[in-house]
Amino acid sequence: MKGVLVDITRCVGCGSCVVACKLYNNLPWSNAPHLGKDAVLTADNWTVVKEFDVSKGKESVWRFVKEQCFHCLEPACASACFAAAFRKTPEGPVIYNERVCVGCRYCMIACPFSIPKYEWQARFPRVQKCQMCFYRVKDGEMPACVSVCPAGALKFGDRDALLKEAKERIAQNPGRYVNHVYGEKEYGGTCWLYLSDVPFEQLGFRTHVSTESIPHVSERVTKWTLPVAGGWAAVLTALYLATKGSGGAEKSH
Amino acid sequence: MEVEKLLEEALKQKEVTRRTFLKMMAGLGLAGLAGSVGGCLRQHEVAAGGEGWLPYQYDVAGTWPAHVRGRVPIDPSNPSIMRDDRKCILCGQCLEICHRVQSVYGYYELPIRDDIVCINCGQCSLACPTGAIQERDDTEKVLKALKDPNKFVVVQTAPSIRVALGEEFGMPPGTWVTGKMVAALRRLGFHAVLDTNFAADLTIMEEATELIKRIKGELPGRPLPQFTSCSPGWVKFCEYFYPDLLPHVSSCKSPQQMFGATVKTYYAEKRGIDPRKIVSVSIMPCTAKKFEAQRPEMISARKYWEKKKGPDFAKDVTRDVDIVLTTRELAKLIKQAKIDFPRLPDEDFDPLMGKCTGGAIIFGASGGVMEAAIRTAYFFITGKEPPPQLLDLKPIRGLASVKEAAVDIPGAGTIRVAVCQGMAASRQVLDIVRAGKAPWHFVEFMACPGGCESGGGQPRSSVPQANEVRAKRTASLYAADARWVWRESHENPDILKVYQDFYGHPMSELAEELLHTHYTSRADKLKAIQPSEKEKPWEQYYPARLTPEI
Ligand code: SF4
Ligand code: SF4
Ligand code: SF4
Ligand code: SF4
Repeated sequence: MKGVLVDITRCVGCGSCVVACKLYNNLPWSNAPHLGKDAVLTADNWTVVKEFDVSKGKESVWRFVKEQCFHCLEPACASACFAAAFRKTPEGPVIYNERVCVGCRYCMIACPFSIPKYEWQARFPRVQKCQMCFYRVKDGEMPACVSVCPAGALKFGDRDALLKEAKERIAQNPGRYVNHVYGEKEYGGTCWLYLSDVPFEQLGFRTHVSTESIPHVSERVTKWTLPVAGGWAAVLTALYLATKGSGGAEKSH
Repeated sequence: MEVEKLLEEALKQKEVTRRTFLKMMAGLGLAGLAGSVGGCLRQHEVAAGGEGWLPYQYDVAGTWPAHVRGRVPIDPSNPSIMRDDRKCILCGQCLEICHRVQSVYGYYELPIRDDIVCINCGQCSLACPTGAIQERDDTEKVLKALKDPNKFVVVQTAPSIRVALGEEFGMPPGTWVTGKMVAALRRLGFHAVLDTNFAADLTIMEEATELIKRIKGELPGRPLPQFTSCSPGWVKFCEYFYPDLLPHVSSCKSPQQMFGATVKTYYAEKRGIDPRKIVSVSIMPCTAKKFEAQRPEMISARKYWEKKKGPDFAKDVTRDVDIVLTTRELAKLIKQAKIDFPRLPDEDFDPLMGKCTGGAIIFGASGGVMEAAIRTAYFFITGKEPPPQLLDLKPIRGLASVKEAAVDIPGAGTIRVAVCQGMAASRQVLDIVRAGKAPWHFVEFMACPGGCESGGGQPRSSVPQANEVRAKRTASLYAADARWVWRESHENPDILKVYQDFYGHPMSELAEELLHTHYTSRADKLKAIQPSEKEKPWEQYYPARLTPEI
């Protein structure tokens, strides 16, 4: 199982990773900001680098957080999808098949990190999110974004080894990091792991979360399937009309 | 397996469009490659990707360049440069120049504090092959000021733009276009077209005086060697990485800021213009000048008027320099106005702050400030005109990254000087000064390799900036110096007049107030990393010419 270790203390906010993702995945540039304080994940922004101005002790510091799909070990999106359009690969990436997807967007409801985004403006909308450069990872290459990071903030490898390294970095640099590897246990663990020197809750991470995976959450969700299914077309249409032209649907998260 | 799947998928398509065909072919290639690497398409027990479908929509890389590297971080609120991410191809050239030539990126420890360290030099904008990095565009502000009937818009033009502006209009590098540039500025509607070169002469008067006072020990707390202060990129570099050496930096403002402070005081009074109506625009070869003009201390004309007419009047006097445009932005304005630049007649600058000497002209090239200062210091010390070899100071001309000379001045002994360009190369001189082993009296620093003629706002006539282009612009500056009526700053009649009528004498109380400044340590913005002794990454670009003994 592969993973990526993001060391927030090393990120300089250059945005190389964001451009790499756009280029590699042929994603269009949209008006939704991909860098800075207002950066937001959208159907076209599979990854963004978000700026947080926080205080660390007496110092005020800028921190940059690369956001993208966490690639959960037991992904809620996959368990919520009755069409099986999401699946977890043994290599790590959680991938999506647009041919199988029926557009119900249960994955979006199920994802504890609100990662999957919907192409609200497309004629045949897809759900979009970071695919962890599946074909690269499958061939043993690092994801596109990791390959360009000039500051050494991103490291690709076996998740177990990365987790070990993350803990070593914490142990060997006393005072540099908060004593937590985000993604080790959150929602049952994720392939993308984060190290930080300021508390994660100040950097937009969802903390105090369940450490169990959430198939039961998705079960609850699937129970709604039939009653909701009848109305979903109407809901979808309403949502589409409500957001059409605004381009801002994704921001409401 | 994958191949079959892909073919199946393709056949299911009702129509094979060009896009799906390309995807299919690329997918076949990829699958084939993966297969052959994995061993001749044999059946695996567990297929790559696990059981189930493989998403077809990911299987073709987008516009993925052959070589990708990281790029330099740029703060979205950087006053000098900005980047259009849609144009970035991740070539890494910006990072290369920032790291190797300027020794900025990678020379501070991570994590960062509350600043994206940048000296605003704009060299990355000259290195970027796609034009993704550009100066912050301020042309709209100028157009707005020009349209405002209540404003009096003055413009100053830096020494080096007149040998480069022509390149934007198809003329060869180094073409001398001063007259046409003045004509174009008039046609754009500027109310007074004046010359930064005038202020360069003013700088020399002040800086040479300061140097002599330092040598005589009349300025306590201001040690030797004196460092030049006219390159705002260099000044910021010193504030970040060598804050302990700030007392060495001359207190003189750069010519741009001296001009700004003088135009809203002396010029306004002489011409009877309300200083509150003056919009002061400068055309610079430099992106760091945009940053310099916004430094909080660069608003001294307001203080002057506060004393003279009270705070109510003075509060409407704006910054000494309100808007800074690069050479490229001026070219854009000229093109937008559909002015046929090469056919323009040659015109002259307006009076009062329009005359210059050869000493000011060579400010545009690395070594020029030093040479001009030596000429005038020689005159100040001996009362005589400098000998011919001081009007052609070869050892400190040219593109070597570090140059040295020793000059005998009767009455002062041997004056030793050094000239550095590019911040990485400058570190070797700075480290010698830091170690207390400096043999020099005066050191010139220019952030950009080549000096202002190759500044971050100059035309991108070759990308990255080639030494041939640099050499041609430099040669043109020295040729103009050689043919000029006046060669030394103290000969400029406009300068004599401004001292007679306004400042009194160099470093007078009024001159200190308007023409001198102070610096701020930026040590709290970063934790600097010292490069290792052996590491001289700049050498492959600009070999140093250190002459141990002259
Ligand atoms: S792993 Fe690939 S898809 Fe995901 S953010 Fe990085 S480049 Fe984009
Ligand atoms: S490429 Fe690396 S340093 Fe740059 S923004 Fe992305 S994670 Fe941060
Ligand atoms: S302007 Fe100069 S210091 Fe700033 S990023 Fe560009 S090359 Fe580096
Ligand atoms: S030089 Fe320009 S194109 Fe190349 S990485 Fe830097 S910004 Fe991108």
